[in-house]
Amino acid sequence: WSWGGRKGQGLNLARKNEEEKKERETEELKKEVVMDDHKLTLEELSTKYSVNLTTGHSHQRAKEILIQDGPNTLTRPPTTPEWVKFCKQLFGGFSLLLWTGAILCFVAHGIQIYFHEEPAKDNLYLSVVLAVVVVITSCLSYYQEAKSSKIMESFKDMVPQQALVIREGEKTQINVQDVGLGDLVEIKGGDRIPADLRLISARGCKVDNSSLTGESAPQSRSTDFTHENPLETRNIGFFSTDCVEGKYRTISNLDMAVAQTPLFGVSSSREPKLFLWQCMEGVCLALTTKRMARKNCLAKDLEAVETLGSTSIICLDKTGTFTQNCMTVAHMWFDLRENDESRQRKTFANNSDTWFILAQISGLCNRADFKPNQETLPSAKRATTGDASESALLKFIEQSYSSVAEMRKKNPTVAEIPFNSTNEYQMSIHFREDSSQTHVLMMKGAPERILEFCSTFLLHGQEYSMDNELKEAFQNACLELGGLGERVLGFCFLNLPSSFSKGFPFNTDEINFPMDNLCFVGLVSMIDPPQTTVPDAVNRCRSAEIKVIMVTGDHPITAKAIAKRVGIISENTETAEDIAARLRIPVSKVNPSDAKAIVHGSELKDLHSEQLDQILRNHAEIVFARTSPQQKLIIVEGCQRLGAIVAVTGDGVNNSPALKKADIVIAMGISGSDVSKQAADMILLDDNFASIVTGVEEGHLIFDNLKKSIMYTLTSNIPEIAPFLLFVVLGIPLPLGIITILCIDLGTDMVPAISLAYESAESDIMKRRPRNPKMDKLVNHRLIAMAYGQIGMIQAVAGFFTYFVIMAENGFRPIDLLGICLYWEDKFLNDLEDSYGQQWTYERRKVVEFTCQTAFCVTIVLVQWAHLIVSKTCRNSVFQQGVRYKILIFAILEETFLAAFPSYTPGTDVALRMYPLKISWWFCAIPYSILIFVYDEIRKLLIRQRPGGKASLGPAPTEWSPAP
Amino acid sequence: MTKNEKKSLNQFLAEWKLFIYNPTTGEFLGRTAKSWGLILLFYLVFYGFLAALFSFTMWVMLQTLNDEVPKYRDQIPSPGLMVFPKPVTALEYTFSVSDPTSYAGYIADLKKFLKPYTLEEQKNLTTCPDGALFEQKGPVYVACQFPLLLLQACSGMSDPDFGYSKGKPCILVKMNRIIGLKPEGVPRIDCVLKNEDQTNITTYPHNGIIDLKYFPYYGKKLHVGYLQPLVAVQVTLAPNSAENEVTVECKIDGSPNLKSQDDRDKFLGRVMFKITAHA
Repeated sequence: WSWGGRKGQGLNLARKNEEEKKERETEELKKEVVMDDHKLTLEELSTKYSVNLTTGHSHQRAKEILIQDGPNTLTRPPTTPEWVKFCKQLFGGFSLLLWTGAILCFVAHGIQIYFHEEPAKDNLYLSVVLAVVVVITSCLSYYQEAKSSKIMESFKDMVPQQALVIREGEKTQINVQDVGLGDLVEIKGGDRIPADLRLISARGCKVDNSSLTGESAPQSRSTDFTHENPLETRNIGFFSTDCVEGKYRTISNLDMAVAQTPLFGVSSSREPKLFLWQCMEGVCLALTTKRMARKNCLAKDLEAVETLGSTSIICLDKTGTFTQNCMTVAHMWFDLRENDESRQRKTFANNSDTWFILAQISGLCNRADFKPNQETLPSAKRATTGDASESALLKFIEQSYSSVAEMRKKNPTVAEIPFNSTNEYQMSIHFREDSSQTHVLMMKGAPERILEFCSTFLLHGQEYSMDNELKEAFQNACLELGGLGERVLGFCFLNLPSSFSKGFPFNTDEINFPMDNLCFVGLVSMIDPPQTTVPDAVNRCRSAEIKVIMVTGDHPITAKAIAKRVGIISENTETAEDIAARLRIPVSKVNPSDAKAIVHGSELKDLHSEQLDQILRNHAEIVFARTSPQQKLIIVEGCQRLGAIVAVTGDGVNNSPALKKADIVIAMGISGSDVSKQAADMILLDDNFASIVTGVEEGHLIFDNLKKSIMYTLTSNIPEIAPFLLFVVLGIPLPLGIITILCIDLGTDMVPAISLAYESAESDIMKRRPRNPKMDKLVNHRLIAMAYGQIGMIQAVAGFFTYFVIMAENGFRPIDLLGICLYWEDKFLNDLEDSYGQQWTYERRKVVEFTCQTAFCVTIVLVQWAHLIVSKTCRNSVFQQGVRYKILIFAILEETFLAAFPSYTPGTDVALRMYPLKISWWFCAIPYSILIFVYDEIRKLLIRQRPGGKASLGPAPTEWSPAP
Repeated sequence: MTKNEKKSLNQFLAEWKLFIYNPTTGEFLGRTAKSWGLILLFYLVFYGFLAALFSFTMWVMLQTLNDEVPKYRDQIPSPGLMVFPKPVTALEYTFSVSDPTSYAGYIADLKKFLKPYTLEEQKNLTTCPDGALFEQKGPVYVACQFPLLLLQACSGMSDPDFGYSKGKPCILVKMNRIIGLKPEGVPRIDCVLKNEDQTNITTYPHNGIIDLKYFPYYGKKLHVGYLQPLVAVQVTLAPNSAENEVTVECKIDGSPNLKSQDDRDKFLGRVMFKITAHA
């Protein structure tokens, strides 16, 4: 067996049996862990678990174990029973208030029964209505909550952790819960340990036990039994801890620094509104996450969508984000000449010893492997485990040289230093099982780094000592290949002297073997072609004034080539180097402000933070190349210093520090490691950068839609409050009562407000500047002024108009109403005279009053029709945008029905005191509806003509127009 | 610690001062004078326009109204019944026979109310034929006389105290005016005592009859000088008892189209009142 770097292989020891009885469980919890597996030798282990330590369990046996022991999961924490959740909805917060109201009404009715013989039943009916409203709304919100928690649940299930187990000698990727007792598991850096493991073979393995111990320093793990206590010994790895490679510490317990943008800048004291908003927000977010999931963009966190909408800088890691993530070998350079892989495969294959060695190194110093059970497929199409470039090499060697598996069997790995971004090389030592019985050290990595190790080079199978001629040729080849946007790897090897005989204990932590004066073999370059959708996506980000910064570990030239391909560096912009080349002057003399795009390589680490700020501020197109993880962190911090909301994509462990700092983390669903997926707020299931743009779009959209919804519901506050004010000030009979207010807040306004969440994006949604979370609140003073000062006023006036119409047509002219309420409310004044000399009993005039209140409510519904239609867009005219008629008409019909139904149904006059209206009273609101419509269309016209002017309610669209 | 707090308080005050008036930008409450002017102008224009629209729609609505008859009369199909004088709170008359000041208010109210019914005031009114509806075609509508004598003992002519000083208080019962109401049959007001039978109850005119000639009513504007037909109820309280408490219920009777029973409206065609008289 040849083990890859950072791998550990272990036996799965203990597992949770879910069916254990509870008492026994609690008893067991008190006991110290009893475990002796760490003391056993490998042979004893093998017997204990009846497993072959190289081939693992048979599939049959694994299945039996799984059935016997149950799935490998922790018992879930007890979830709140559904009825408790329902009761919470039924008796929590606002509902409690309504219940209190209902009970008070009921008690009042009881008191009335006690003191009067025939009390009015109003209070009884009101209490019943309140109770019904509470029950219905809590049913609705319970349903809503159940739905969104279901969505969240499904997200959890959608990112199952995988474990690489060895069964019947094959590496198989299975879900963690299917790992069984005694399974052979292979772990590499970045993986989460899938079970409690006993290490049987390890190379440079380090684990982060912080989730268990709280200690974040990674601990070295090996196969040695070092301590009596299983928690201390080196050869045990624990379930749910992380396997890391040494350098970065805080991978687990990665506490996300997601900017929690305050959604509600202004809160209303009116409880029903708050309740309505909760509903709306829930619906908006749930809808958005669902919609995004359909577009392969998985938001783990509901706020993530919102944050993404305010993202102003996206830091992209080139790898896997906007390339197809399918590396293929493009060129090779050895024997001082370049070999185009595609043209010369047949011709060079047999005629050079250098090629033979290069192929050996490519195949052996390589952690990638084919996934099992696909022997029938051509090697190019087989799925592989491991890093993209290693897979590319693996496939290439398999195709053009010989079977890699066979090669590895003949030359087992005895020691290994995995690739990491500080070393920039990967080293492995293999034992030649042929006649020579010697060890060979093989190394591949960044070309410059490899060259540093070498003192000789290989030419047609002969070693020559390194000279300047070769170095120059090497430089040229590197530049040429890198300039094509290809990833270049250098290869070298060293035959270890025969003193390192079979079984020599190679130690990679404290190196006990020679690792210098290696022999340089050649270069292999690979390319990962960019995805076709990326240039368009970058363009769309630009138009939304989102800066796309490429941060990559690649060579500057490679980075630049790729950046140019996808449009991160536009066609006609030049880097300082380009200008220098054009003007034939040294780079240092180029005026930095002339160069738009900047490609920064190693100089990044020498920059002061002010210099970095300057770069970030002054350059529209930035590519950072050859960056280390620490530098990525510095870049992210720099962006945040400028006040930007930074999204970071990352697919590897080495991005963790930057991920931790970022406002929103986007992980790749296919290529990303478990760690990055767990840290992510958003996962791109198809690894496609274009999906990020979808996310941004949805973020903008959710903000827009919430704003529309809130604007819509805020507005009706004015026509709800104004009647009471005028009742007090002018002494007119109350134009809008409690029941009708409740009818508007909890009934008619609900569905239309929610329907706004279904609104699709406006055509200019990606031309808008990202929202500044500090400045652009969801509810800002302009929105308040608009909702309360303007639209709300129009609505209130419309309501009063209807009120006065009904009063006048029934005999009470407006002028006579002023100050009448003292008499109007007198229960024993049963001959109140109207403007025509007729006399009214208390009850009859109250009927007129309640008819007015019903009409007021209907009028608000009618003016809200117009408001709903105009609310559908922020900037575009309704005529431009077009309307999704289905939901709009449903919402309008629903609210109208909710207003009309209690009005016309017999019996509701008794229970709700809502009375039927004459047809003509429905038309009173029309002039005001038209006014709202026209007023808002004019406002939008002004916005379109003067973007960012005083007429707009949100962030202004940018002046920048997207390239055609 | 305190120093810090003080500083922050000062800072807070300074910030507020700056908010109220910022000398560098000339901003007052966060806006410059020009900005304030513009926003006030905007709202002036906006509300001006809104007020204009409201006035216009109200004007249009008032144009559609008839000055004489309200557009809809379906909310009062049947008249309510009400008593006079109206006690300040509930319909409970409390007085003391021996103390004239306790009922002086009622008497003053009654006198004032009955003033239009005096012969002097009625001399321009028409004497209408009894027992039939007095329908008119206009354009001039005349009002029928209601001779105060019909109320007999409660007319205030023979007894200026309306019986209050003798323990026989008079209370007027009247039917609410409704434009165009045409009672059928022979409407009368029937009053009964709810609890006691020691006391007597008398209604004037005899039997509480309301003559049909006072109907229909044509409205305040057309039917100038219209006198509402009245029925007086005189309750003769039991003499020599220290305290009398009687409840009287009056109902419209004898007319099939005038309702006197409604679950919600306790005054539709009926009225209930209580008299508490001390010795």
